[in-house]
Order: sequence, then structure tokens, then C-alpha cells
Amino acid sequence: MNIQGSPRRRSTFQSRGNTGENKVDSGDLGRKHKPDYWLVALCVLLLAIGMMVVYAISPALGASTGVSGSHYVFKQLLAVGLSLVAFMITAQVPVRYWRHAYKPLLIGAGLMTLVAIAMPVNPSYPAHRWVRLGGFSFQSVELLKFALLIWLAGFLAERVSRQEIATTDKTLKPLLIAMGAIGLVIAGIQSDLGSTGVIVLMLGTLAFIAGLPFKRLLLIGGIVAVGLFIAISATPYRRDRLSTYLHPEANCQSTGYQACQALIAVGSGGMVGLGLGKSVQANGYLPEAANDSIFAIYAEVFGFIGVVVLLGVYVALFSRLKGIAERAPDDFSRFIVLGVLTWLSTQALINIGAMIGLLPLKGITLPFISYGGTSVVFVAAAVGLVFQISRYTSYIAPINDERSMHDDSRDRRRIRGAYHPNPSSSS
Amino acid sequence: MAYTASRAGSVNSTVKRVRTWYALLLLVIGIFGVRLFYLQVIRYDHYKTAALHDQLHQKVIPATRGTIEAHDGEKTIPIVLNQKLYTVFADPVDIKTYKTDVDKAAVRLASTLGGEVDGYAKKLQAKDTRYVILAKKVTPEQRTKLLSYKLAGLYSEERDYRTYPQGSMAAQVLGFVSDEGQGDYGLEQALNKQLAGTPGELKAITDQSGVPLAASRGNVQTAPKNGDDLVLTVNMGMQAQLERILADQYKKTKSKGLSAVIMDPATGKIKAMANYPSYDPAKYSEVNDPKIFENASVSEAIEPGSTMKLLTAAAALDQGVIKPDTTYFDPSKFVIDDFTVKNIEEDGGARQQSIASVLNLSLNTGATWMLMQMGGGSINTKARTAWYDYLTSHFQFGNDSNIEQGYETAGLVTKPANNGAGINLTYANMSFGQGILVTPLQMTAAVSSIINGGTYYQPYLVDSTTDSNGKTTTTKPKVVKQNVVSPEVSRAMIPLMEYIVDEHYKEGFSYLNFSDSYAVGGKTGTAQIANPSGGYYADKYNGTYTGFVGGNDAQYVITVFNTQPSVNGYAGSYGGQPIFGDIAHMLIDNGYVTPKTR
Repeated sequence: MNIQGSPRRRSTFQSRGNTGENKVDSGDLGRKHKPDYWLVALCVLLLAIGMMVVYAISPALGASTGVSGSHYVFKQLLAVGLSLVAFMITAQVPVRYWRHAYKPLLIGAGLMTLVAIAMPVNPSYPAHRWVRLGGFSFQSVELLKFALLIWLAGFLAERVSRQEIATTDKTLKPLLIAMGAIGLVIAGIQSDLGSTGVIVLMLGTLAFIAGLPFKRLLLIGGIVAVGLFIAISATPYRRDRLSTYLHPEANCQSTGYQACQALIAVGSGGMVGLGLGKSVQANGYLPEAANDSIFAIYAEVFGFIGVVVLLGVYVALFSRLKGIAERAPDDFSRFIVLGVLTWLSTQALINIGAMIGLLPLKGITLPFISYGGTSVVFVAAAVGLVFQISRYTSYIAPINDERSMHDDSRDRRRIRGAYHPNPSSSS
Repeated sequence: MAYTASRAGSVNSTVKRVRTWYALLLLVIGIFGVRLFYLQVIRYDHYKTAALHDQLHQKVIPATRGTIEAHDGEKTIPIVLNQKLYTVFADPVDIKTYKTDVDKAAVRLASTLGGEVDGYAKKLQAKDTRYVILAKKVTPEQRTKLLSYKLAGLYSEERDYRTYPQGSMAAQVLGFVSDEGQGDYGLEQALNKQLAGTPGELKAITDQSGVPLAASRGNVQTAPKNGDDLVLTVNMGMQAQLERILADQYKKTKSKGLSAVIMDPATGKIKAMANYPSYDPAKYSEVNDPKIFENASVSEAIEPGSTMKLLTAAAALDQGVIKPDTTYFDPSKFVIDDFTVKNIEEDGGARQQSIASVLNLSLNTGATWMLMQMGGGSINTKARTAWYDYLTSHFQFGNDSNIEQGYETAGLVTKPANNGAGINLTYANMSFGQGILVTPLQMTAAVSSIINGGTYYQPYLVDSTTDSNGKTTTTKPKVVKQNVVSPEVSRAMIPLMEYIVDEHYKEGFSYLNFSDSYAVGGKTGTAQIANPSGGYYADKYNGTYTGFVGGNDAQYVITVFNTQPSVNGYAGSYGGQPIFGDIAHMLIDNGYVTPKTR
């Protein structure tokens, strides 16, 4: 049925002056048009929300850590500035360059990871996750996520174009090797199960979307489950966290302290919240109030209504990403956009899930909202890529069902036109 | 075309999978939304309560304990003040996460507060507690220094400690305040509530270390009500010299313990009250025997001996059964309940005696005879009832004086009912001060009442109080009993007591040389000491003395109890009387006594 429908759409493309082919390998994405400004607007909105919460609790954070009240706001502003730079770079440097640069990126990320592992640990954060250079520090895993995103998109696009997606040697093996290496280093040595989760979910989701056979996905899932089991049973603190997760209220004074305080923060926010600047839990009760636990503070301050708004903004962002992915000019771009979507959504959900007692605590940030430079800079870089890709999207989704086949594509365009402007008005 | 179609088909199926995955994502977000609704709306009350349980802290705002001053001439000077010091404590849960922090903190603590690094390190790592006291009485300077190190998990608590600008002066009268803020012994115990005040309370949402959040709602605050400041009736100069006299005489008389009270008979004001040995209240924790904390002048009742004869005479005179100039034939012994009462001082055998000579020679038979007169000639129910009535309801023996002191004893007066155990003999003994237990303070107050015109005043130490609002209340003398004896009897008692001092001076007690401008009178007591296994010790005596010093009127009544002095001669004359002499001279020499004008 799709095959029947496609020539019509094809002709539509052609009538709009598109090349008519999905240029899988050429890197030529076709004619440029107005980018998706909504994408940027939503990200800026999330950043603003995060900044507002950090600003409101920074005096409390300063008081409990002995630094000035403006310290956190200043550092976060700096991070936002760096993010802007990262965004500009990835939005401007053509996507095909990135695709070819996956090797140096991976090598760079690998080196940074080695440096982080070799660095003497900060006793407050005993995991080997940080690279510190002078007064500046960043988490190597964020760079790794970015590098993996590009490699994975390129790898899968190539496999799809060569119709090798279902093969063991060419597709499954490299994926398993990548997963194994990541599991060993990030989960094993850096003890960062949260980021491992994000990467594995990113990998699994993209593999699924690229058309990896269902049985292979099950195999990956099974291996992940075994790995998880080993990771948890091998380290006592993870066992604690799991038991804390299963019985949070019983461990409130010990291992479950953060989980309990997060639930208290969320629950005590009620319907409308305590109001901005009135957070109590940020005053030393809830650990990592500006970083990993910021969602709980947000929920305390803005209540259920505020939480619904925040989730709404996230869903709006995800839906933009999904829309761009569907209309992406080629598979590589599509996988990039989908990778970013998976990255942001799984990281957000793992973070929020821990705050509301649905998932064990992981120690990862809430994208755009959490205080912490590294996360925001690389997320901004990833969004920059999507922004660039949004200039080359086709006007309608290349799909898909009975209804769309008989639809007048012009009507669809009109509906979609809200964010896919007529090319005549674009540059 | 086939290729294009297959490519398009591949794209389409890709997009289909994207939508499947996206639907899953929305489902998870939806589940999160439901969970959030459950947490924030349905379980709101539960989490609100849990939040307040953690966040709402009730903080006691301590009240400042009242200060204590005493008279010194025209002004008053402080004898008990407060000093703000700090208790430094740790929450090991906050501190012990990292060994390096513990070591660093321990080194800083030791260098600032003194003590062993290891000791602090051990305390900082204490298990199963969130409150470990590291040091008490830390000065504000030391605390500031510690704060500057910004050590995690260390906290301090302000606390008032007592300081004593006059050193150990009046220690047993004052008592002390324990580290827990509780007044113990003396005034601090008796007036603990008044001195302590009422602590205030702050209920506030605080940060995790307990500092109230300015923006938090529902803070409730009650201001503390500070304790009352006291000014004592005590005259510091007199107190200091009394203490010095007791310390001297303790050595001279080889005493086992001395107590003395100086009271204003016209009001009940205690002008000085001391015991020896005493202690330094600033170092109360170094005292081994808690007995030394007691103010023996109110807490230690003994058989006073012959000083009681003053009161026997006053009671007999007041009942009209004798007159001041009555004489009688003294047989030098009475057999009562198969026991012979005889005189222990050389009295020249059976002969005619006067009331004055009974008191001067301290005749036990004379006191017994006076008691007999109360019963119409013999010791009987009437005599016993009358004497008991005078002892307890006139002279207030056997009752607490209710002076502002901890651990006061009421003494002991045997009831007059026939108990089948030689009650008449007991009462005969009581007429000369044996078989009855009284404190120096009770004796002072009772003798005051028979020479001040016949009014028993409540003895008291607090002259005025100033409450937290600055309102000063002066204590009014409180009459416990009017007409203890008639004014005529009271007027008769003064020359009788002066006569005794004069006669003793003439006998050779040269230190009783008082100018005619002053009236000085008194009575010795050589008291036998009951042996716990029955009867009395043959060789142990307490020396007592009760007397007065004044001009036109008696201005000071003085009682001295000397426990088992080792002296050549009667304990009263050689262990009690010289101390009274010293005190009387001290009062006169320092101008505390207004001389006679007529």
C-alpha cells in the first residue's frame, strides 16, 4: 500500500524541486529552507526554566556549601554561553562533516574517558567521571554520548543503505562490541549506570528503528539484562540502591535518604507548589538539589500544575524532534535526530523516574534544566545538529497510512505548514 | 522505479517504527503524569506531613538566668553573674563520610580547644548517634576560630554559665547551677524557677542544620521571659568578715565544722550566714563530698544545749509562772523518771537561786524547775503541753523556716503525749536544750522573737527582686507569729542576757569587753551529743552560743554552732562564746551597730 502511495508523494517532492532521491551517502541534503525555530524556542524555554529554578535556590545552595549565592547562577550562565557556542558550531558545520568526523570524535571521547579514569578522584564524587583542567571540569561521558550519537547514526545509515541491517557480522557484532565496551567502561569503571542506560537505550532504539530484526533486539535486551544483573550484584552500593528503590521509606535515614527526600519534595509541592523561592528541600535536605534532583525541587516549587507544564514542554520538544526525524532528508540525518530524541527523552525519564520513585536513583541530569555545564553544552551541540537538519526536511511526512494516501497532500501541507514554511519564503 | 519504491518503503517502515517507539514514549510520560498526580495531589497530605516532620523544628530560646547581688554599704554588688559560653558538639553522620575530613577536624579541634587529636577523632566517628559533645565552656573567641575553619558537621550551642566575682563568698548560701542549667543547693535550688525564668520557643521551618528560613511560613515565636535578678539581704562586708572569723576559729578551736547566722531581729533579714568548711561554686564539680554543698545553718539540726534556757525562761515568764525577779531554792538535782537531772557546771550546790543566776550559771535544774512551774510545780501533761506549744507554735521549732534555701531541715520536737518512754525526762532535757533538734537559723529566729518585742519574723535572704520587665519588688518582712512573748517579757529578756555577758566578762572572759554604748547579751550552750547506740557520748560536745548586739535595741541576733571543738573547758564557753565575741566585736568595730543614745 505504501508502495502505491509513494509515487504520488514522490511527484510532490519533485514538483517542489527536490532531487527526488534520498541521498543516503552523498551528504547532499538538498535545498535549504527556513530552520525549525520552534525547536530552538522550546530548548530556550527549558533552559530558562532551569535557570529560574537554579537562580531561586542558589542562595540556599550557597549557604549549605559555603559559597556565595550568585556562584551557581554565574556558573550556569557560563554554561549556557558555552552551549550557545556549541550550538552555533554544530548548527553551521555541515552534517556530512560530522559524519566523517566520527572517528576522531570517538577517539577524543575515549581519550577523555581514559583521562577521567586516570584523574585523582574528588572525594565528594568518588566515581572516575570527571576531567578537570584548572578550574574547569567536565564529564567525559557527555562527550562520549555525542560521539556515539554520530557514529551510531552513520553506522546504521550505512547498514541500511547496504541492506545489511539484518546481518550478524556487519551489524549485530559491532553493536554488541560497542555495547560491551561501554558497559565495561562507563558502568563498570565509572559506575555510571545512568549514562550507560541512556546510551544503551539510544543504541537499542536506533537499532530498532533502523530495522534490526526483532529477535536480534531481544538478544540485545537479554544481554543488557544479564549485564545489569551482574553490575548490580557485583557492587554493594548498587544492591543498596536497588533495595532502597524497592523499599524507599524503610531506608529514609540511610541509603534511601535522597530517594525519600525527593519524594517528600515532590509530594509536598501539592497541586500548585510552594512558589518560586520558597523551596525548603533545597536548604540542605535534598542532596544534589540543583543537579540530579532539580526536578523534585521544581515539583516542590511549582506543584502538579507546573509539572504538567514542564512535561508538556518536553513533549512539545520531543514532538518537534519526531516531526523533523520523519521528514529528515536522509537516513543519517534521521538517525541523528532520533538519536537526539532518544538521548533527551530517556535521560529525562530516567532522571524524573528516580525522583518520583519509579526508577532507582541514577545520578544523571535532567536535560536543559539541571545545573551542570557539561550536560547542557553537549545537549546543545546535539540540538544544533538537529537544527541544521531541520533546514533540509521535506514538507510532509513520507508516509504512511490509508488516510494519508487519499489525502490531498496540499491540505496536509497546510496543516503542517505552521512549522514547515513554504520554500518560496525561505532563503 | 523499483529501487525508489523499495527505498520509500524502507523509509515508510522506518517512520512507522519511529511512531511506534514514540507512542511508547508518550505512554511512559503519561504513566509519569499519573504517578505525579498520585504523589502531589492524592498523597499530598502524607508528604506534607513527612516534610514538616523533617523541616519544622522546635527550638528553645533559653531565658537568661537572673543575677544575684548583695548589699555593700549603700550600694549593691554582684556576687553571681552569667557568662555566655558554648558547648561544641558534632553530628558524626554529617562528618564521618570521609576519613580525611575527620582527621582535619580533629587536628583543628585539638589546636583550638586543647586536648588529644585522637580523642576528638574517636568522638567524631561515634556510631549510632547524631549528637556528640566535644567540649563544654568554649569561649566566644575559641568558637569564632572554630567557625572560621568551616568544618562540616560541627555545631555549637550557646549556654549561660554562672560566674562568681566574689569567689567562694557565701557559696553555701548561693548554691550552684549544674551543667544542665538546674539550680542545686542554696538559693539557686530554692528559687530555681524564679531565677531560671521561662524559656521562649521558636517553631520554624529550618534548613537542614536548623537555621530558620526567613521566607518560611507559619513560624511561631514566643519570647523567653528572663529570670528575676535578686538583691540579697546579706551585707557583703559582714559576710566576708564572718567567713574569715569562722575560718580562724575553725583552726583555733580544732572544730569539725562551724556555722553562724547574723540576723536582723526587727525584720528577719539575714545579714550574714556562713559555714566552715565551704567550697568554690565555680569549681563545684571538683567537690568530692556533697555534704559540703549544704548550708549547715539551715540543713543541720543538732541538740543546741543550754542556749535553749533563754527560751525556757521566756516561755515561763510569758505564762506568768515566774517573774524576772523570782528566786527559789534550787536542790541541785531532780529525780525524774528514775533519772537524776543535775547541773554540769559548778554551781555551788543546793541553794537559793534567781532567774538571772539560773541563766548565768546555766543550771539544768533551774531550767527543769521553770518547766515544773509551767505544770504548777511538777513536770506533767500540762507542763509538757505548754512547753510543746511554746516550742512549736511560738518559737517555730520543728517547722521549716521557709527561708529561700535548698535542703532545709525542720528539726525535731518530741510530742508531749506520754509515749511510755520517759516523756517527762525527755521534756526536762528539752528545757535545757537536749533531746530536741534545731538549726542555727531556727535558734536565731526564735531568740530574735523574744527580744524584739515578741514578733517572730520569717527569716529571709532576698531583699528585692527585679523581673524581666525591670519591675523591682522589695520583700516586706513577714510576721509568722505575733505575741510570741509579751512586750514586757521581751523587755525583761534583754537585761537578763546582758547580765550573762557581764558576769562572764567579770569571770575572766576578757574578750567580752564591750563599751557601755552597746548592748551585748547572750548565752552559751555545751551540748551533749547523742550516741547512735544509746545515751550520750561522755567526751564529745558541741559548743553553741546565741546572743545579740545592739544599742537602744537589739540590732543583730547571732547564733554560732561549733561541732565538737577540742578545747580546754566547756564547749559553749570555749568553743562557742569566743566566736560570738569575735562577731560582736567585728559588728561594733565596723560601725554596723548604732550605739545607744539613751
